[in-house]
Amino acid sequence: MPPDDRTIPPITRRTLLQSSAAAVVGASQIAAPRAAAGDPSKHANIVIDCHGHLHHHGQPDWERRDRDLIEVADRLGIDRLCCSMLTPRRPADPEGFRRCNAWVAEAMSRHPDRVLGYCYVNPGHQAEALDEIRRCVEGRGFMGVKLYNEHRCTDPVVFPIVELAIELRVPILHHAGHMHFVPPEQPLISDGGHLADLARRYPEAMLICAHVCGGGDWEWTIKALRHAPNVMLDLSGSVIDDGVVELAAEVLGVDRLLFGCDMSMTAGIGRIRAARLDDEAKARILGTNMLALLKRRAS
Amino acid sequence: MIIDVNAYLGPFAFRHLRHRTAGELLGLMDSRGIDRAVVSGAAAITYRNPQPANAELIAEIGPHPDRFIPFAVINPSYAGWADDLEACLDLGFRGLRLYPKWHNYDLMSEPCLDLIDRATDDGMIISIPMRVEDPRQRSWLVDVPNVPVSELADVVAARPRARFHFVNGRGFAGSVLGQPENGLPENYRIEISLLNVHLNDEVETLIANLGPDRLMFGTGMPFQYPDPALAKIEVLAPDDALKAQILHQNAAEWLDAAAPRGGR
Repeated sequence: MPPDDRTIPPITRRTLLQSSAAAVVGASQIAAPRAAAGDPSKHANIVIDCHGHLHHHGQPDWERRDRDLIEVADRLGIDRLCCSMLTPRRPADPEGFRRCNAWVAEAMSRHPDRVLGYCYVNPGHQAEALDEIRRCVEGRGFMGVKLYNEHRCTDPVVFPIVELAIELRVPILHHAGHMHFVPPEQPLISDGGHLADLARRYPEAMLICAHVCGGGDWEWTIKALRHAPNVMLDLSGSVIDDGVVELAAEVLGVDRLLFGCDMSMTAGIGRIRAARLDDEAKARILGTNMLALLKRRAS
Repeated sequence: MIIDVNAYLGPFAFRHLRHRTAGELLGLMDSRGIDRAVVSGAAAITYRNPQPANAELIAEIGPHPDRFIPFAVINPSYAGWADDLEACLDLGFRGLRLYPKWHNYDLMSEPCLDLIDRATDDGMIISIPMRVEDPRQRSWLVDVPNVPVSELADVVAARPRARFHFVNGRGFAGSVLGQPENGLPENYRIEISLLNVHLNDEVETLIANLGPDRLMFGTGMPFQYPDPALAKIEVLAPDDALKAQILHQNAAEWLDAAAPRGGR
């Protein structure tokens, strides 16, 4: 990143809600301060990225890359990043996911109230996974559980994980995608239909269907989730197709949508800016809805 | 001033597009401060014979010659392509948009190189989308791969007189096309809508490696939201001179140099 970039004023939550053109063609940016850490209820327009990743410490430049993520969040006006760390090779074993979660906990300490942690586990190692979730949520203050594609979410091996998340009152962010072909590298990937099935089995669970803008046919996913009110939709991903946010708002309702980037930062920001929704709706998507999920744990 | 070098009009076979008429796209452009857009017919991507879509495009943009810059979709493996090219030149098309994977031909095939040569002789720019949609969301009916960067590099090297726009692409920074002193002619420019900024620094790397005159602003409208591309410019926050280059000067330089047949 060019060093002189550091002098550029950040995009703030207020400019997030403005049209892009005004900012690009030279209208002055409104520089509201980034929300301070503290009581979430005081943040009327907080911006929370519901889907982020920290870098595995096996990567030699993980520190710089993690710092870059925080710096980009600063510049984009993102107050909090809900992050997990995945093992480089999957399916993850207990040693691998414990190590990742320990590193996430370290990042939470380095960036208090900035980085929130999802506890990543492989449900196939059930006893170890349940122990790890309880340790991370109750002992380390993690905000949720991250599940990837080791098992389809409707596999009974996943059910005890869901039941523990219900007990702890934390959401589960579940990797998902619907392609009209079987992705050979992800034979057990879940999709919106599977998550809707799981939601019907556990109506008290808080489920988040991950990265609709990086998970194949987003129209299919949105329609599949219509009748699953306890599944929130994470809008993150690198795909910037026109209309996805508006369709999701129309079919699912604004209160089920969560702003996210999944490391595609300008895509995440840009699609919220672009959406034909009023400022109140965008504020809910950007942070209020996620705050409501987080408050359930605190209550 | 903003010039979008990556826009489309008309319907697409596999997904409803909200802003597919000239009036609808103009409304979107106006709302984002975009002054002019290079457009081609989205329907031509899946038509076997794309020429009717070219004719429809010209009719659609007719009342707005100051806002739209028409590029023709021509399939050099289809009968009559040379006649279609002549017709498109007479209709005022300023460039070509090629879909080698959707239309099942090789960029380095003899008819395609012939098409590029003829279009170049008439001042046309050659726009090549690396993809139409993210391949993960493709229809069950088709399995069309992205155009590999290596194939773009081959045609760049083979036709140094031609001028190429590469749109809807990514992965340039790690390829020969994004390397400094790569031995290739400087006859190609890269559109930014799908390039990463910040975390992977693709735009920053390309500016450093190729120079600021090699990137061009584009959105992918109406397939894609325009705002992510605008946000890239905003968060890159280049100085005003660099911002102007990417937003319009680099595109205008080539477009203004490409006199349409009727203007000669």
